[in-house]
Amino acid sequence: MQRLYLALFLLLFLSSPLYGKEGWKRSFEEEYLKIFPVDEAPKRNVCVSCHMSEIMRPELRTIPSQWSNSWHARNNISCHDCHGGDPEDEKNAMSPERGFIGKPSFRDVPQFCGRCHIGILEHYMKSGHGRSLRLTGHAPNCVTCHGSHEIQKASIEIINENLCSRCHSYERAKVMKQALSATERLIVDTDMALSVLKKKGMILQKENEEFFRTHAEFRTLFHTTDVNLVKERTEEFIGRLRAIETRLSQYFKELNFRRNYSVFLFLLFLSIGIMLYIFYNDRGKK
Amino acid sequence: MKLREFIDERIELSNLIRSQFSEYRVSERLNIFYTLGFVALAGFVVQFITGLFLLIYYIPHPQYAFQSVQRIMNEIPYGWLIRQVHVVGSNLMVAVVFLHMLSVFFMGSYKKPREFTWVIGAGMLFLTLTFCLSGYLLPWSQLSYWATTIVTNLPTAFPIVGECLADTLRGGKAVTGFTLSRFFGLHVALLPPLLSFLLALHIFLIRRTGISLPPWHASEGMKGSGHNIEGMPFYRFMLKELSIVMFYLAGIFFIIAFMPTLFLPDDANTPADPSNTPEHIRPEWYFLAPYEMLKLIPSKFLGITVQLLFVIIFLFWPFIDRSPERNILKRPVLLWTFIVVTGLWLLLTILGGY
Repeated sequence: MQRLYLALFLLLFLSSPLYGKEGWKRSFEEEYLKIFPVDEAPKRNVCVSCHMSEIMRPELRTIPSQWSNSWHARNNISCHDCHGGDPEDEKNAMSPERGFIGKPSFRDVPQFCGRCHIGILEHYMKSGHGRSLRLTGHAPNCVTCHGSHEIQKASIEIINENLCSRCHSYERAKVMKQALSATERLIVDTDMALSVLKKKGMILQKENEEFFRTHAEFRTLFHTTDVNLVKERTEEFIGRLRAIETRLSQYFKELNFRRNYSVFLFLLFLSIGIMLYIFYNDRGKK
Repeated sequence: MKLREFIDERIELSNLIRSQFSEYRVSERLNIFYTLGFVALAGFVVQFITGLFLLIYYIPHPQYAFQSVQRIMNEIPYGWLIRQVHVVGSNLMVAVVFLHMLSVFFMGSYKKPREFTWVIGAGMLFLTLTFCLSGYLLPWSQLSYWATTIVTNLPTAFPIVGECLADTLRGGKAVTGFTLSRFFGLHVALLPPLLSFLLALHIFLIRRTGISLPPWHASEGMKGSGHNIEGMPFYRFMLKELSIVMFYLAGIFFIIAFMPTLFLPDDANTPADPSNTPEHIRPEWYFLAPYEMLKLIPSKFLGITVQLLFVIIFLFWPFIDRSPERNILKRPVLLWTFIVVTGLWLLLTILGGY
């Protein structure tokens, strides 16, 4: 036994010059976590490496870090998804043959973004903003309100006095915002309800898809300047969201049932346990 | 009555029941810790039954595994209850087995003639952990995928054979569909009969050697059970054991009712994504101590050697500790070793959680 204790003590003593190395915990975790399946390994992105290097003009070097904080990055939308080109081939990264578009002109920005945001493009082009851009080339486009590489998740708060009054009075925008607000509140509530249900293990694919569709269609309305159209469509969106909400309330009822049923089983087994213990003690006394 | 006579005439079942439950006696001195082995056995039975139901709807394929578990949770009637009992039950079972081993150690019940009972019990503890490791991956969620990635990387700390060992465990360089198939096979086909066999052997040995008495009653003899001892009939002790099993089940339902996400956090509700490592991922709570220990010791080889040494010492402890004294309170060095090792294990588990 004494020899065993001595051996253990020696082993622990030998392993003691350990704890002070800076960043040891993080580097350990990185080493243990960053092993990817062969076909899942993150692919090389020459756009990012080149833009971050010394050869790039200073104002262009910040683009990768801006993008990495964006809503696009969080949804795996990378450089080539918008700008084209080949992010894995250094020589042909900017080749038009590989679909490289590069930076669009100010006038072409709506078409550039509208390749994915189709409904939004349609409403925008019919709006005063869109028509003015087409005619003069000097009206607010997508990047005026949303920015370019640091794009964040859109919310109704983008419509605000500071932003709108850079070009015109806020009055008309204010009316628009009021018309959209009720639906926006309902969207926020439904989104929260869906995430609460997900946290509790209820992943509702059908409801999630329907909510996403309604949400995306509603967002297109933010890009029109036609107040009547907004009022007209708002009713429809509220109806659709209320229908989702009704279905979600059923799931919340189901969660309540689960809790109550588990409480019942808890009390049942607790009572049986207590009775058995009393019975055991009684038999002892006899 | 006729059926009973019919059976008795042939196999004398009543005699067997009388001999094993009424005439077989158990000491009144056995405290509540002596019921933990039976609770662990009941825990295994609960896991087995709920596992059978889950097996009906679960699909062991990376593309469908997560969906099939979601279906069990949200579409199959009472599927949520079966899965929750399986998930919560597995964690509580590990806790009970740990407690059982600790109490057996503390009461010196591993000493002669019960050395083999200890070795098989310790083996079953490691088998239970293997059960948990293999079952944890099956839902194919972010949580299970990355926790398994960490744990299956642990053997790489071994020089030369480490990589080969980890690759064999995973079926490749990373956790993939091959790992899922292997772990599924291990979880439902290999481990249950193996554990059942060891359980039967464990119970057989307990019956042969008898239950030990707590060391502070050792003057009354070594045997706490048998046909020729003073005490209560075995069926009465079973009442006590069953009541603790009922409390164990009540504990499971308490967690399901009031802490349903305790063992199923957010990442358990997100399908596995091998290209996206979630923040703050860590192994299951019972692997936190070895994981944290590996982190603390800068040499991986030294880290894994220390752990392996601990496992070997733990497994064969009755053959290392040859002192005839069973009462740990009369052995201050052993008592302090017990306190320090248990305290360190708890500390490392808590540290690993942050």
